[in-house]
Formats: sequence, structure tokens, C-alpha cells
Amino acid sequence: MTVHAIHIFDRKGKTLFTKRYTSSKQSSTQDAEQLSEQRKLIFGMLFSLRELVGSLTPGNGSPALKSVRTGAGTLHCFETISGLRIAMYTNNNPIMNTIGARAPGADNTKTSFQTALKYIYSDIWVECVVRSPLYRPEDIQVDPVEGKENKSGRFDIKSTNFESKLDAYLASMPWFR
Amino acid sequence: MSSKMQASQAGQALWSKMPKANAELFALTYGSLVTELVRDYEDPIEVNAQLDRIGHSIGVRCVDELLSKADVAGMGLATQCQNLRDTAEVVAKVGFKMFLGVQAEVGGFSQDQRSFSIYLQDNPLATFVELPAAGDEQYNGDDLRKLKYSNLYCGVIRGALEQVNLKVECNIVRDTLKGDEVNEIRVELKEVLADGAGDDYKEE
Repeated sequence: MTVHAIHIFDRKGKTLFTKRYTSSKQSSTQDAEQLSEQRKLIFGMLFSLRELVGSLTPGNGSPALKSVRTGAGTLHCFETISGLRIAMYTNNNPIMNTIGARAPGADNTKTSFQTALKYIYSDIWVECVVRSPLYRPEDIQVDPVEGKENKSGRFDIKSTNFESKLDAYLASMPWFR
Repeated sequence: MSSKMQASQAGQALWSKMPKANAELFALTYGSLVTELVRDYEDPIEVNAQLDRIGHSIGVRCVDELLSKADVAGMGLATQCQNLRDTAEVVAKVGFKMFLGVQAEVGGFSQDQRSFSIYLQDNPLATFVELPAAGDEQYNGDDLRKLKYSNLYCGVIRGALEQVNLKVECNIVRDTLKGDEVNEIRVELKEVLADGAGDDYKEE
């Protein structure tokens, strides 16, 4: 499995959507807490890095943060000026990282992670979530902690076909295995 | 000057890609919405507030629609809007064009560059509309002079700019329905909101 997880945050750091593609060994309750803590850290890191990069960038260059890479994996991020942040955690993908794929002339625009995240935003998120008549940006129900009471009247992303479209799209990518 | 050209070209490109609805149907639907509000709320001031609220909900959605399509038209928005002038251009040339098919003009910047006006030559919302004349007792003409028929625009602009961290206040200052020669929407920047972690982040 190349894609480990995908998270979507709003401007304020609230998780709008989260999904993991690799299973973990821990029990589910313990897991939920840990994951929520993890997301908090991810957002915090992206936020701080963005601030730092913004203050380092000279002139009118774009300070957009694209990915954070470690020995074990890469966190790809995409942010819009409306404040949405999409973060996708993958391993250091061999397809993307071979020299051949980056060689001049090689067409990697179709498979690059930035393009993929942009597609997720513009063709899946906007299409399925923003256009949903029930969508209210400030009032999105996130489900991560199971058993937590559902406040009625809140918009749940699970009620749209965002997730199924996202899965279908990711599965069609060469780096998703 | 080049950014102005670019914005109107981008607006044109986006407009050509948008799915279209019949303009008359659109105008009539909006008309019946306003009529219904007038009937329900009676007080025109309250109707204006409701229109603004509806517009706000539309605006917060529109902005994502615009941003997600902006690259199609070959403009990197993140680098383009450096100041309020650029933002105003994009709202008028791209936003209005993309969603309504009409081009708006920007002007009347204040000294401190914190407010501007958007001029609409023709207003697609107000096709077929006539407000009752002042003093028309039967249709409550005097009262309805206070109605801002197209107040929806104010809400849309407010909602859309709020999503990109600009808190603005909008007002319709001139209205062709009231005999002015042009529709003028005054937009005033109140503050640039700071990014930051919100309550939800802390509580989660």
C-alpha cells in the first residue's frame, strides 16, 4: 500500500475528512484517540511550517508548501486560499522518485501528487461536498471517535459520495497499490 | 493594466466552461424568492438582511468553485491577489463573469485603498423588475423604497471574501431599479483576518 492516509482540514484546523488505507494493530478506541492526536500534530506542523516558509520566502514567490519527506514516508500537502488543506501520507514512492520519472520530457504531470491533490480538491471535493445542498462550512460532522453522539442537523461528509469517488480516483493512480 | 486584461480573459474562459441556465428562468426564480420574502417578513429592512444571509451562504460555496477552476483559465490566484485592487478585479472580472455572465467594472477606490465600488451596467437579477413607485399606497410603494432588491450580491461578495480571510462590508449604494443610471455596490474592507487555530482544533 502506497497511500497510508488522507486528511482534510479547514482553515481552523478542524478535521473535515479523514481516512486511513493501512490498518493498524491497536484496538479501535485507543486508536481513535491516538489518531485524533496525530491529526492535531499534522495540522500543527503544516501550519507552523507554512508560517516559517512564508517568512523565509523572498519577494513574490509562492510560499506554498508541497511535501514533507522523511526516511519512512512523504506527507504531501495541498492548500487553497480558501483555507482548505489536504494532506496525504504516502511512502517514498518508487515510481515517483526514480530518476527516470523525473527526467526531462517524461510526462509525470498526470501522476504527480500535486496534480492528484488538486484534482481531489477541484473535481471531487468541490463537486461532491461544496455543491451538496446540505453543506455548511462551519458545521461539518466528523466521525472519528466512534460512539460519539451525532448532533442532529450537522452535515456529514459520509452522506455524500465523496469517499467513494475519492477511493475510485486513488485506486486508478499508478502509485496506489 | 496587464492584470486587468488577464482577469477579464480568465473570466471569459471560465464563463465559457460553466454550465448555463436560462437567464429568464433565473431572473424569475429570484424574483419570486424576493416576493416571497417580502410577503413573509413585511419589513423591507428585514428582507434585505435575509437576502444578505442567503447570499452569504452562496458566497462561501462560490469561492471554492472559483478557486478550483481558476487554474483552468491559466491564472495562479495565490500569487495574483497581492492587494485589494487585485482582489477587486478578480471579484468583478472573474467572479461576476463566471457566475452571471456579465462583466462588472471596478472603481472609486478610497484614499486608503480599503474600499472600492463595483459597477454593474446590467443586472441579471433585475430583469423584468419594477419597484412600485413612491407614494403608491396600494402596493406599499413608500415602504418598498427601502428594499434593496439585489442585496443578494452583497451577501455573496461578503461570504466569498470571508473565505479568503477578508472581512468586508457591502452595500448597494446605487440601483437602476430606483432610477440611478448604474448599479453600484460599495465594498469596504473591515479587516484582514489572521490565520490561526480555532476552537475546534483545541477541543478536538
